[in-house]
Amino acid sequence: MPRLPPSLFWKARQQISPFAPILLPVCRTLDSAANELRWIKQHVNSTSSLVPRKLRIWQACLKRERGMPLQYILGTQPFGPLEILCRPGVLIPRLETESIIYHLSSLIPRPSPQAPPLKILDLCTGTGCIPLLLSSLLFPARTQITGVDISPSAISLSRQNLTHTISLRHLSPSASKSINFTQADIFDLKFLPSLGYKPSELDILVSNPPYISHHGFNTTTERSVRLYEPRLALVPQIHPTSHYNCEPEDIFYAHLLEIVRTLQPKRVLFEVGDLDQAARVVAMVVRGKGFLERYARNVEVWRDEPGVGLEGKAEKMWVGGNVEVEVKGQGRGRGVYFWRE
Amino acid sequence: MPSRPKPPPESELEESFLKGSGPGGQKINKTNSAVQLKHLPTNIVIKCQATRSRSQNRKIARDILAERLDELYNGTQSRTAVVGSVKKKRADSAAKKARRKHRKLAEEKAKAAGVTGTTPTTEEVQEDEEDDEEWEVVDEEYHEEELEETERQVNKSDTVIVHGLGEAPVNESTSVKSNCNGIVLKELPVDKQAAVENTQPAQGNP
Repeated sequence: MPRLPPSLFWKARQQISPFAPILLPVCRTLDSAANELRWIKQHVNSTSSLVPRKLRIWQACLKRERGMPLQYILGTQPFGPLEILCRPGVLIPRLETESIIYHLSSLIPRPSPQAPPLKILDLCTGTGCIPLLLSSLLFPARTQITGVDISPSAISLSRQNLTHTISLRHLSPSASKSINFTQADIFDLKFLPSLGYKPSELDILVSNPPYISHHGFNTTTERSVRLYEPRLALVPQIHPTSHYNCEPEDIFYAHLLEIVRTLQPKRVLFEVGDLDQAARVVAMVVRGKGFLERYARNVEVWRDEPGVGLEGKAEKMWVGGNVEVEVKGQGRGRGVYFWRE
Repeated sequence: MPSRPKPPPESELEESFLKGSGPGGQKINKTNSAVQLKHLPTNIVIKCQATRSRSQNRKIARDILAERLDELYNGTQSRTAVVGSVKKKRADSAAKKARRKHRKLAEEKAKAAGVTGTTPTTEEVQEDEEDDEEWEVVDEEYHEEELEETERQVNKSDTVIVHGLGEAPVNESTSVKSNCNGIVLKELPVDKQAAVENTQPAQGNP
């Protein structure tokens, strides 16, 4: 990371505020420091405390200077039209996740009123942001969504988020019946029958699993993520029962495909870390035996903004030397989407 | 009071989300959700980072664009101009009333001190009263407007105009103010500059 010129600190002090310079090392630009300070001030002004205002602002800036994510300091992260509560120990919802979930929801045809609610399963749900956003976009009355996570802290936060979202009227109260969260280790397949899905009944399987490699965690992961967000949510751990022949960071995808084989969902969306990982996941789908063959011809790779077209030119990617898949949108490789007839 | 202008159709817009460098996804927890909205027919570009929510920023950018286009096309008939004139009338009316009040007080003082001076003629007093009735109607409209404005104050604030000849990035040293709420407006094409040169000052609500 290039060094910040001293003049920038002076400018921050002069043009923004005496508090701004300590945000610079984390924010890197005047614009970003000004924005984050503004949000910190708004947060302090809108919450009451015995601590004097200026001191609270200063404390928040100090935390941010040490690298604490702004979302943990402010306690929330916007996600679509929703406000998701955040706290240490649970992964903060990402903008890229929001983007691909929006695109996924745009592909779901409007169901007829007589049709049964769409059954959706979100694995590694974290804050529960994906189930809540999908419910908001596809409506609580037309969906039945379950979120699963191994961490009891995450499940507790997800349930809090459900209540919080309803209390803010971003979701109707009926959502408390159509969205539920349950704690389970997805590597222990015994959790599947307890979900109660009949084969082929599941409409959508979605997951944003841990996908960062050990090396990637130590080199290309942002400092605030590395120091403050839970590693359990970011880097796959070697599971004692896992026997998959793949890169360590892809282990969740290999296991998720086992779940796909069992549940046979109509549509599947996985978030991935980059285009290379996307290619590896596509290869797993395309080469999968048994039920996976139903999906082999309907696979797409999505970039960060899947809906943004490139002027009529369809981008294709070769996987494994003989398979060609379409790559949609602009940005970095972000998702693998596949469906069965 | 003309109603708030509607944003132009999506087909005329080009939106981009300013993303940083780096891998994104789980490796980074971005706080930046800036939205850049370009109106293709007029080449006006609006960059909005008012809130942490991308969806909100998208909406605010569109609202600001709608207002800008309203001013561009409607000039004195635009909502901003009408609101501005209503506010000015109100300020004038308040100033007038203040003058009248002080005139009265000065006269009473003078009377008490036994000094004779000029008193307003009956005509002048009548004119003043007629004007007051007019301002009452304007005051009502203004009051409604005020209520709406206080709601929207949260979202909008200093809009900074950067006169540029191209897609140059905003110069940090000129655009960042301590109370800037993260909205930057760029005027791009040379031919349109003349038309909009006489618009807002560098600070203040549009």
